[in-house]
Amino acid sequence: MTGLAVDDAAWGSAWRCRAPGDKLLLCGGLVVVALVLPAWPGSVLVGAVAVGLALGPARVPARTFARAVRWPLAFVAVGAVTAVVEVGSGGPGWAPDAAARAGSLVGHALAGSAAVLLLATTTPVSDLLPALRRAGVPAAVVEVASVVYRLLFVLLDSLRTIREAQAARMGYSSLRRSYRSSGALAGAVLLRSWERARRMQEGLAGRGLETGLRVLPETLPSSATFLVATTAGLAGIVGTSLVLA
Amino acid sequence: MHIAEGFLPAGHAVGWTVAAAPFVVHGARAVVKEVRENPETTLLLGAAGAFTFVLSAIKLPSVTGSSSHPTGTGPGAILFRPPVMALLGTVVLLFQALLLAHGGLTTLGANAFAFAVVGPWAGYGAYRLARAAGAGLLPAVFAGVALADLATYVTTSLQLALAFPDAGSGLAGALAKFLGVFAVTQVPLAIGEGLLGVLLFRVLTVNARPELERLGILRPAPVVPAGGAA
Repeated sequence: MTGLAVDDAAWGSAWRCRAPGDKLLLCGGLVVVALVLPAWPGSVLVGAVAVGLALGPARVPARTFARAVRWPLAFVAVGAVTAVVEVGSGGPGWAPDAAARAGSLVGHALAGSAAVLLLATTTPVSDLLPALRRAGVPAAVVEVASVVYRLLFVLLDSLRTIREAQAARMGYSSLRRSYRSSGALAGAVLLRSWERARRMQEGLAGRGLETGLRVLPETLPSSATFLVATTAGLAGIVGTSLVLA
Repeated sequence: MHIAEGFLPAGHAVGWTVAAAPFVVHGARAVVKEVRENPETTLLLGAAGAFTFVLSAIKLPSVTGSSSHPTGTGPGAILFRPPVMALLGTVVLLFQALLLAHGGLTTLGANAFAFAVVGPWAGYGAYRLARAAGAGLLPAVFAGVALADLATYVTTSLQLALAFPDAGSGLAGALAKFLGVFAVTQVPLAIGEGLLGVLLFRVLTVNARPELERLGILRPAPVVPAGGAA
Protein backbone atom coordinates (compact mmCIF):
# COMPACT_ATOMS: atom_id res chain seq x y z
CA MET A 1 0.00 0.00 0.00
CA THR A 2 1.48 3.35 -1.05
CA GLY A 3 -1.29 5.54 0.32
CA LEU A 4 -2.48 6.84 -3.06
CA ALA A 5 -5.51 4.87 -4.25
CA VAL A 6 -4.70 5.19 -7.97
CA ASP A 7 -1.11 4.02 -7.43
CA ASP A 8 -2.30 1.12 -5.25
CA ALA A 9 -4.73 0.13 -8.01
CA ALA A 10 -1.91 0.25 -10.59
CA TRP A 11 0.31 -2.10 -8.54
CA GLY A 12 -2.61 -4.48 -7.92
CA SER A 13 -4.05 -4.42 -11.45
CA ALA A 14 -4.28 -7.59 -13.54
CA TRP A 15 -2.56 -5.57 -16.31
CA ARG A 16 0.41 -4.66 -14.09
CA CYS A 17 2.66 -7.14 -15.95
CA ARG A 18 1.67 -6.00 -19.44
CA ALA A 19 4.34 -4.01 -21.28
CA PRO A 20 4.00 -0.25 -20.52
CA GLY A 21 4.42 0.48 -24.24
CA ASP A 22 1.36 -1.67 -25.05
CA LYS A 23 -0.75 0.17 -22.49
CA LEU A 24 0.58 3.55 -23.64
CA LEU A 25 -0.49 2.73 -27.22
CA LEU A 26 -3.99 1.75 -26.07
CA CYS A 27 -4.57 4.63 -23.64
CA GLY A 28 -2.76 7.24 -25.76
CA GLY A 29 -4.86 6.15 -28.73
CA LEU A 30 -8.07 6.43 -26.71
CA VAL A 31 -7.07 9.90 -25.45
CA VAL A 32 -6.39 11.15 -28.99
CA VAL A 33 -9.56 9.55 -30.38
CA ALA A 34 -11.62 11.10 -27.54
CA LEU A 35 -10.15 14.51 -28.33
CA VAL A 36 -10.59 14.57 -32.11
CA LEU A 37 -13.81 12.63 -32.74
CA PRO A 38 -17.27 14.20 -32.23
CA ALA A 39 -18.64 13.67 -28.72
CA TRP A 40 -21.46 11.56 -30.15
CA PRO A 41 -20.71 8.77 -30.63
CA GLY A 42 -16.88 9.03 -30.31
CA SER A 43 -16.61 10.11 -26.66
CA VAL A 44 -19.34 7.70 -25.59
CA LEU A 45 -17.53 4.78 -27.25
CA VAL A 46 -14.14 5.78 -25.81
CA GLY A 47 -15.61 6.22 -22.33
CA ALA A 48 -17.41 2.89 -22.46
CA VAL A 49 -14.30 1.05 -23.72
CA ALA A 50 -12.00 2.67 -21.12
CA VAL A 51 -14.33 1.97 -18.20
CA GLY A 52 -15.14 -1.54 -19.48
CA LEU A 53 -11.46 -2.47 -19.84
CA ALA A 54 -10.55 -0.99 -16.44
CA LEU A 55 -13.32 -2.73 -14.49
CA GLY A 56 -13.23 -5.90 -16.61
CA PRO A 57 -9.93 -7.41 -17.78
CA ALA A 58 -7.70 -4.99 -15.81
CA ARG A 59 -9.68 -5.63 -12.59
CA VAL A 60 -9.41 -2.10 -11.23
CA PRO A 61 -11.69 -1.64 -8.18
CA ALA A 62 -14.84 0.22 -9.30
CA ARG A 63 -14.75 2.35 -6.12
CA THR A 64 -11.20 3.57 -6.87
CA PHE A 65 -12.12 4.41 -10.47
CA ALA A 66 -15.30 6.24 -9.45
CA ARG A 67 -13.58 8.21 -6.68
CA ALA A 68 -10.77 9.27 -9.02
CA VAL A 69 -13.25 10.54 -11.63
CA ARG A 70 -14.85 12.85 -9.03
CA TRP A 71 -11.99 15.41 -9.25
CA PRO A 72 -12.15 16.11 -12.99
CA LEU A 73 -15.95 15.89 -12.82
CA ALA A 74 -16.21 18.93 -10.51
CA PHE A 75 -14.01 21.06 -12.80
CA VAL A 76 -15.74 19.80 -15.95
CA ALA A 77 -19.23 20.56 -14.59
CA VAL A 78 -18.37 24.12 -13.49
CA GLY A 79 -16.31 24.81 -16.63
CA ALA A 80 -18.94 23.47 -19.04
CA VAL A 81 -21.80 25.44 -17.45
CA THR A 82 -19.69 28.64 -17.50
CA ALA A 83 -18.76 28.08 -21.15
CA VAL A 84 -22.36 27.85 -22.32
CA VAL A 85 -23.67 30.88 -20.41
CA GLU A 86 -23.85 33.99 -22.61
CA VAL A 87 -23.38 37.50 -21.27
CA GLY A 88 -25.59 39.81 -23.33
CA SER A 89 -26.99 43.32 -22.85
CA GLY A 90 -29.95 41.86 -20.97
CA GLY A 91 -27.72 39.99 -18.52
CA PRO A 92 -26.55 36.38 -18.47
CA GLY A 93 -28.54 33.64 -20.23
CA TRP A 94 -28.07 30.27 -21.89
CA ALA A 95 -26.49 30.12 -25.35
CA PRO A 96 -28.90 28.87 -28.08
CA ASP A 97 -27.02 25.56 -28.42
CA ALA A 98 -26.13 25.36 -24.72
CA ALA A 99 -27.20 21.75 -24.12
CA ALA A 100 -25.35 20.41 -27.19
CA ARG A 101 -22.15 22.37 -26.43
CA ALA A 102 -22.17 21.42 -22.75
CA GLY A 103 -22.81 17.79 -23.66
CA SER A 104 -19.94 17.83 -26.14
CA LEU A 105 -17.54 19.40 -23.59
CA VAL A 106 -18.51 17.01 -20.82
CA GLY A 107 -18.34 14.02 -23.20
CA HIS A 108 -14.84 14.86 -24.48
CA ALA A 109 -13.52 15.57 -20.98
CA LEU A 110 -15.00 12.50 -19.29
CA ALA A 111 -13.96 10.14 -22.10
CA GLY A 112 -10.40 11.56 -22.09
CA SER A 113 -10.23 11.40 -18.27
CA ALA A 114 -11.41 7.78 -18.31
CA ALA A 115 -8.70 6.89 -20.86
CA VAL A 116 -5.97 8.57 -18.74
CA LEU A 117 -7.34 6.82 -15.65
CA LEU A 118 -7.16 3.47 -17.46
CA LEU A 119 -3.43 4.08 -17.90
CA ALA A 120 -2.98 5.45 -14.36
CA THR A 121 -4.79 2.56 -12.66
CA THR A 122 -2.96 -0.18 -14.60
CA THR A 123 0.59 1.21 -14.86
CA PRO A 124 2.72 2.38 -11.92
CA VAL A 125 4.59 5.62 -12.67
CA SER A 126 7.91 3.82 -12.15
CA ASP A 127 7.05 1.68 -15.23
CA LEU A 128 6.36 4.78 -17.32
CA LEU A 129 9.56 6.68 -16.48
CA PRO A 130 11.84 4.48 -18.67
CA ALA A 131 9.47 5.28 -21.57
CA LEU A 132 10.30 8.98 -21.08
CA ARG A 133 13.99 8.13 -21.45
CA ARG A 134 13.26 6.23 -24.69
CA ALA A 135 11.26 9.29 -25.89
CA GLY A 136 14.45 11.38 -25.69
CA VAL A 137 14.01 13.06 -22.30
CA PRO A 138 17.52 13.59 -20.78
CA ALA A 139 18.61 10.94 -18.27
CA ALA A 140 19.16 13.58 -15.56
CA VAL A 141 15.55 14.79 -15.87
CA VAL A 142 14.17 11.23 -15.71
CA GLU A 143 16.33 10.59 -12.64
CA VAL A 144 14.96 13.70 -10.89
CA ALA A 145 11.40 12.57 -11.77
CA SER A 146 12.22 9.13 -10.44
CA VAL A 147 13.45 10.57 -7.12
CA VAL A 148 10.30 12.75 -6.91
CA TYR A 149 8.15 9.62 -7.33
CA ARG A 150 10.05 7.64 -4.69
CA LEU A 151 10.28 10.48 -2.16
CA LEU A 152 6.72 11.70 -2.37
CA PHE A 153 5.32 8.60 -0.65
CA VAL A 154 7.79 9.03 2.21
CA LEU A 155 6.82 12.69 2.53
CA LEU A 156 3.08 11.95 2.29
CA ASP A 157 3.54 9.46 5.11
CA SER A 158 5.37 12.13 7.18
CA LEU A 159 2.61 14.61 6.34
CA ARG A 160 -0.10 12.25 7.64
CA THR A 161 1.83 11.39 10.81
CA ILE A 162 2.62 15.01 11.72
CA ARG A 163 -0.92 16.17 10.92
CA GLU A 164 -2.36 13.41 13.10
CA ALA A 165 -0.10 14.46 15.99
CA GLN A 166 -1.07 18.13 15.51
CA ALA A 167 -4.78 17.25 15.42
CA ALA A 168 -4.42 15.21 18.63
CA ARG A 169 -2.94 18.35 20.27
CA MET A 170 -5.93 20.51 19.15
CA GLY A 171 -3.80 21.98 16.37
CA TYR A 172 -6.81 22.37 14.06
CA SER A 173 -9.42 23.47 16.61
CA SER A 174 -9.72 27.02 15.25
CA LEU A 175 -8.93 28.87 12.01
CA ARG A 176 -5.91 30.61 13.55
CA ARG A 177 -4.51 27.36 14.96
CA SER A 178 -5.22 25.57 11.68
CA TYR A 179 -3.11 28.06 9.73
CA ARG A 180 -0.31 27.93 12.29
CA SER A 181 -0.35 24.12 12.23
CA SER A 182 -0.43 24.04 8.41
CA GLY A 183 2.63 26.32 8.24
CA ALA A 184 4.51 24.21 10.78
CA LEU A 185 3.44 21.08 8.87
CA ALA A 186 4.77 22.43 5.55
CA GLY A 187 8.03 23.50 7.24
CA ALA A 188 8.52 20.14 8.92
CA VAL A 189 7.89 18.26 5.67
CA LEU A 190 10.35 20.49 3.76
CA LEU A 191 13.04 20.01 6.43
CA ARG A 192 12.47 16.24 6.38
CA SER A 193 12.75 16.17 2.58
CA TRP A 194 16.09 18.05 2.72
CA GLU A 195 17.34 15.83 5.55
CA ARG A 196 16.34 12.64 3.73
CA ALA A 197 17.92 13.85 0.46
CA ARG A 198 21.14 14.72 2.33
CA ARG A 199 21.27 11.30 4.02
CA MET A 200 20.54 9.49 0.75
CA GLN A 201 23.26 11.52 -0.96
CA GLU A 202 25.76 10.66 1.77
CA GLY A 203 24.82 6.97 1.56
CA LEU A 204 25.13 6.91 -2.23
CA ALA A 205 28.40 8.89 -2.14
CA GLY A 206 29.75 6.19 0.16
CA ARG A 207 28.84 3.66 -2.52
CA GLY A 208 30.62 5.64 -5.26
CA LEU A 209 27.80 7.74 -6.80
CA GLU A 210 29.43 9.32 -9.86
CA THR A 211 27.28 8.94 -12.96
CA GLY A 212 23.73 8.94 -11.67
CA LEU A 213 21.30 6.55 -10.05
CA ARG A 214 21.39 3.32 -12.04
CA VAL A 215 18.70 0.73 -11.38
CA LEU A 216 17.93 -2.52 -13.15
CA PRO A 217 14.78 -1.92 -15.20
CA GLU A 218 12.07 -4.57 -15.15
CA THR A 219 11.53 -5.99 -18.64
CA LEU A 220 7.88 -6.70 -19.42
CA PRO A 221 7.34 -8.43 -22.79
CA SER A 222 5.08 -6.85 -25.38
CA SER A 223 2.07 -8.87 -26.56
CA ALA A 224 1.37 -9.06 -30.31
CA THR A 225 -2.24 -10.07 -29.60
CA PHE A 226 -2.75 -7.01 -27.36
CA LEU A 227 -1.24 -4.69 -29.98
CA VAL A 228 -3.40 -6.13 -32.78
CA ALA A 229 -6.53 -5.92 -30.59
CA THR A 230 -5.65 -2.31 -29.66
CA THR A 231 -5.19 -1.25 -33.28
CA ALA A 232 -8.37 -3.04 -34.37
CA GLY A 233 -10.34 -1.58 -31.45
CA LEU A 234 -9.21 2.00 -32.13
CA ALA A 235 -9.94 1.58 -35.83
CA GLY A 236 -13.37 0.20 -34.91
CA ILE A 237 -14.16 3.22 -32.71
CA VAL A 238 -13.06 5.65 -35.44
CA GLY A 239 -15.00 3.76 -38.14
CA THR A 240 -18.18 3.48 -36.06
CA SER A 241 -18.02 7.16 -35.11
CA LEU A 242 -17.59 8.29 -38.72
CA VAL A 243 -20.47 6.09 -39.90
CA LEU A 244 -22.86 7.13 -37.10
CA ALA A 245 -21.87 10.81 -37.15
CA MET B 1 -7.29 24.44 -10.48
CA HIS B 2 -6.08 22.31 -13.39
CA ILE B 3 -7.83 22.02 -16.76
CA ALA B 4 -9.20 18.48 -17.02
CA GLU B 5 -8.21 16.01 -19.74
CA GLY B 6 -10.09 16.57 -23.00
CA PHE B 7 -11.56 19.93 -21.95
CA LEU B 8 -9.51 22.04 -24.39
CA PRO B 9 -9.92 21.69 -28.16
CA ALA B 10 -7.01 19.90 -29.86
CA GLY B 11 -5.60 23.08 -31.46
CA HIS B 12 -5.48 24.90 -28.12
CA ALA B 13 -3.92 21.90 -26.36
CA VAL B 14 -1.13 21.79 -28.97
CA GLY B 15 -0.71 25.59 -28.94
CA TRP B 16 -0.25 25.80 -25.15
CA THR B 17 2.15 22.84 -25.23
CA VAL B 18 4.27 24.71 -27.81
CA ALA B 19 4.10 27.86 -25.65
CA ALA B 20 5.21 26.05 -22.49
CA ALA B 21 7.91 23.96 -24.19
CA PRO B 22 10.74 26.59 -24.33
CA PHE B 23 10.43 27.29 -20.60
CA VAL B 24 10.34 23.60 -19.66
CA VAL B 25 13.28 22.82 -21.99
CA HIS B 26 15.20 25.76 -20.48
CA GLY B 27 14.50 24.36 -17.01
CA ALA B 28 15.54 20.87 -18.13
CA ARG B 29 18.83 22.23 -19.51
CA ALA B 30 19.50 24.03 -16.22
CA VAL B 31 18.83 20.79 -14.32
CA VAL B 32 21.01 18.68 -16.68
CA LYS B 33 23.90 21.16 -16.31
CA GLU B 34 23.53 21.22 -12.52
CA VAL B 35 23.35 17.42 -12.26
CA ARG B 36 26.35 16.97 -14.59
CA GLU B 37 28.47 19.27 -12.41
CA ASN B 38 27.09 17.98 -9.09
CA PRO B 39 25.47 14.51 -9.37
CA GLU B 40 24.24 14.75 -5.77
CA THR B 41 21.91 17.63 -6.80
CA THR B 42 19.57 14.98 -8.28
CA LEU B 43 18.42 14.10 -4.78
CA LEU B 44 17.90 17.69 -3.65
CA LEU B 45 15.93 18.51 -6.81
CA GLY B 46 13.90 15.33 -6.37
CA ALA B 47 13.18 16.37 -2.78
CA ALA B 48 12.09 19.82 -4.02
CA GLY B 49 9.71 18.26 -6.55
CA ALA B 50 8.29 15.83 -3.99
CA PHE B 51 7.81 18.73 -1.55
CA THR B 52 5.85 20.70 -4.20
CA PHE B 53 3.61 17.67 -4.79
CA VAL B 54 3.10 17.13 -1.06
CA LEU B 55 2.48 20.85 -0.41
CA SER B 56 -0.43 20.64 -2.85
CA ALA B 57 -1.83 17.83 -0.68
CA ILE B 58 -2.02 20.01 2.47
CA LYS B 59 -5.61 20.97 3.24
CA LEU B 60 -5.73 24.71 3.72
CA PRO B 61 -8.59 25.89 5.98
CA SER B 62 -10.91 28.36 4.27
CA VAL B 63 -12.76 31.21 5.93
CA THR B 64 -15.98 29.70 4.53
CA GLY B 65 -15.45 26.58 6.63
CA SER B 66 -14.42 24.33 3.73
CA SER B 67 -10.82 23.54 2.74
CA SER B 68 -8.80 23.75 -0.44
CA HIS B 69 -5.34 22.76 -1.66
CA PRO B 70 -2.48 25.18 -2.38
CA THR B 71 -0.64 25.11 -5.73
CA GLY B 72 2.75 24.83 -3.99
CA THR B 73 4.72 26.58 -6.74
CA GLY B 74 5.11 29.95 -4.97
CA PRO B 75 7.42 28.79 -2.16
CA GLY B 76 9.26 26.59 -4.70
CA ALA B 77 9.85 29.56 -7.04
CA ILE B 78 11.31 31.64 -4.17
CA LEU B 79 13.47 28.78 -2.86
CA PHE B 80 14.62 27.16 -6.11
CA ARG B 81 14.03 29.89 -8.81
CA PRO B 82 11.48 29.84 -11.68
CA PRO B 83 13.53 27.98 -14.35
CA VAL B 84 13.91 24.95 -12.07
CA MET B 85 10.23 25.21 -11.09
CA ALA B 86 9.23 25.15 -14.80
CA LEU B 87 10.62 21.62 -14.98
CA LEU B 88 9.70 20.48 -11.46
CA GLY B 89 6.21 21.96 -11.80
CA THR B 90 5.68 20.05 -15.06
CA VAL B 91 6.88 16.81 -13.43
CA VAL B 92 4.51 17.45 -10.51
CA LEU B 93 1.62 18.10 -12.94
CA LEU B 94 2.37 14.83 -14.75
CA PHE B 95 2.32 12.97 -11.42
CA GLN B 96 -0.88 14.74 -10.34
CA ALA B 97 -2.51 13.62 -13.61
CA LEU B 98 -1.31 10.02 -13.18
CA LEU B 99 -1.66 9.63 -9.41
CA LEU B 100 -4.57 11.92 -8.49
CA ALA B 101 -6.48 12.36 -11.78
CA HIS B 102 -5.97 16.15 -11.48
CA GLY B 103 -5.40 17.75 -14.90
CA GLY B 104 -4.60 15.55 -17.86
CA LEU B 105 -2.10 14.56 -20.54
CA THR B 106 -3.33 16.59 -23.53
CA THR B 107 -3.87 19.56 -21.19
CA LEU B 108 -0.43 19.13 -19.59
CA GLY B 109 1.04 21.92 -21.77
CA ALA B 110 -1.73 24.40 -20.88
CA ASN B 111 -1.56 23.53 -17.18
CA ALA B 112 2.26 23.70 -17.24
CA PHE B 113 2.13 27.17 -18.81
CA ALA B 114 -0.17 28.45 -16.03
CA PHE B 115 1.12 26.44 -13.05
CA ALA B 116 4.82 25.93 -13.79
CA VAL B 117 5.71 28.99 -15.92
CA VAL B 118 3.45 32.03 -15.34
CA GLY B 119 2.74 31.34 -11.63
CA PRO B 120 6.38 30.87 -10.54
CA TRP B 121 7.68 33.79 -12.66
CA ALA B 122 4.93 36.17 -11.45
CA GLY B 123 5.45 35.07 -7.84
CA TYR B 124 9.23 35.30 -8.01
CA GLY B 125 8.96 38.72 -9.72
CA ALA B 126 6.67 40.01 -6.96
CA TYR B 127 8.99 38.63 -4.28
CA ARG B 128 12.09 40.25 -5.82
CA LEU B 129 10.29 43.58 -6.37
CA ALA B 130 9.08 43.62 -2.78
CA ARG B 131 12.58 42.83 -1.49
CA ALA B 132 14.11 45.50 -3.75
CA ALA B 133 11.55 47.99 -2.42
CA GLY B 134 12.82 47.30 1.10
CA ALA B 135 10.12 44.88 2.30
CA GLY B 136 11.10 42.29 4.88
CA LEU B 137 11.37 38.59 4.03
CA LEU B 138 7.91 37.59 5.28
CA PRO B 139 5.87 40.39 3.56
CA ALA B 140 7.80 39.68 0.34
CA VAL B 141 7.06 35.95 0.69
CA PHE B 142 3.35 36.72 1.17
CA ALA B 143 3.32 38.87 -1.99
CA GLY B 144 5.24 36.27 -4.00
CA VAL B 145 3.26 33.21 -2.94
CA ALA B 146 -0.18 34.89 -3.19
CA LEU B 147 0.64 36.37 -6.61
CA ALA B 148 1.95 33.03 -7.92
CA ASP B 149 -1.41 31.51 -7.03
CA LEU B 150 -3.42 34.41 -8.48
CA ALA B 151 -1.38 34.48 -11.71
CA THR B 152 -1.98 30.74 -12.19
CA TYR B 153 -5.73 31.22 -11.77
CA VAL B 154 -5.88 34.26 -14.10
CA THR B 155 -3.86 32.42 -16.78
CA THR B 156 -6.10 29.34 -16.56
CA SER B 157 -9.18 31.57 -16.88
CA LEU B 158 -7.59 33.24 -19.94
CA GLN B 159 -6.87 29.84 -21.49
CA LEU B 160 -10.51 28.82 -20.99
CA ALA B 161 -11.78 32.16 -22.34
CA LEU B 162 -9.63 31.80 -25.47
CA ALA B 163 -10.99 28.29 -26.01
CA PHE B 164 -14.62 29.22 -25.34
CA PRO B 165 -15.20 32.91 -26.23
CA ASP B 166 -18.63 34.28 -25.39
CA ALA B 167 -20.93 34.50 -28.44
CA GLY B 168 -22.19 37.94 -27.41
CA SER B 169 -19.34 39.64 -25.57
CA GLY B 170 -16.35 37.79 -27.08
CA LEU B 171 -13.09 37.12 -25.28
CA ALA B 172 -13.53 39.87 -22.66
CA GLY B 173 -16.95 38.56 -21.63
CA ALA B 174 -15.72 34.98 -21.46
CA LEU B 175 -12.70 36.04 -19.37
CA ALA B 176 -14.98 37.91 -16.96
CA LYS B 177 -17.20 34.79 -16.68
CA PHE B 178 -14.36 32.37 -15.91
CA LEU B 179 -12.57 34.83 -13.59
CA GLY B 180 -15.82 35.43 -11.73
CA VAL B 181 -16.79 31.78 -11.34
CA PHE B 182 -13.39 30.56 -10.16
CA ALA B 183 -12.72 33.66 -7.99
CA VAL B 184 -15.03 32.18 -5.33
CA THR B 185 -12.44 29.50 -4.54
CA GLN B 186 -9.21 30.92 -5.98
CA VAL B 187 -9.02 34.40 -4.39
CA PRO B 188 -9.42 33.10 -0.79
CA LEU B 189 -6.99 30.30 -1.70
CA ALA B 190 -4.38 32.82 -2.92
CA ILE B 191 -4.63 34.75 0.36
CA GLY B 192 -4.54 31.50 2.36
CA GLU B 193 -1.55 30.22 0.43
CA GLY B 194 0.24 33.56 1.00
CA LEU B 195 -0.32 33.16 4.76
CA LEU B 196 0.87 29.54 4.58
CA GLY B 197 4.03 30.75 2.80
CA VAL B 198 4.68 33.29 5.58
CA LEU B 199 4.25 30.62 8.28
CA LEU B 200 6.45 28.19 6.31
CA PHE B 201 9.28 30.71 5.93
CA ARG B 202 8.95 31.72 9.60
CA VAL B 203 9.56 28.06 10.53
CA LEU B 204 12.46 27.87 8.06
CA THR B 205 14.20 31.04 9.31
CA VAL B 206 14.25 29.49 12.80
CA ASN B 207 15.06 25.87 11.90
CA ALA B 208 16.84 26.00 8.54
CA ARG B 209 18.77 29.28 8.47
CA PRO B 210 21.93 27.70 6.91
CA GLU B 211 19.86 26.26 4.03
CA LEU B 212 18.16 29.62 3.42
CA GLU B 213 21.57 31.33 3.42
CA ARG B 214 22.91 28.75 0.96
CA LEU B 215 19.91 29.35 -1.32
CA GLY B 216 20.49 33.13 -1.15
CA ILE B 217 17.18 33.85 0.62
CA LEU B 218 18.91 35.23 3.75
CA ARG B 219 22.22 37.03 4.04
CA PRO B 220 24.78 35.14 6.16
CA ALA B 221 24.78 36.40 9.73
CA PRO B 222 27.84 38.55 10.50
CA VAL B 223 30.56 36.63 12.33
CA VAL B 224 30.96 37.96 15.86
CA PRO B 225 34.65 37.99 16.85
CA ALA B 226 35.49 35.82 19.83
CA GLY B 227 36.33 37.53 23.11
CA GLY B 228 34.90 40.67 24.71
CA ALA B 229 35.69 44.33 24.18
CA ALA B 230 39.11 45.56 25.19
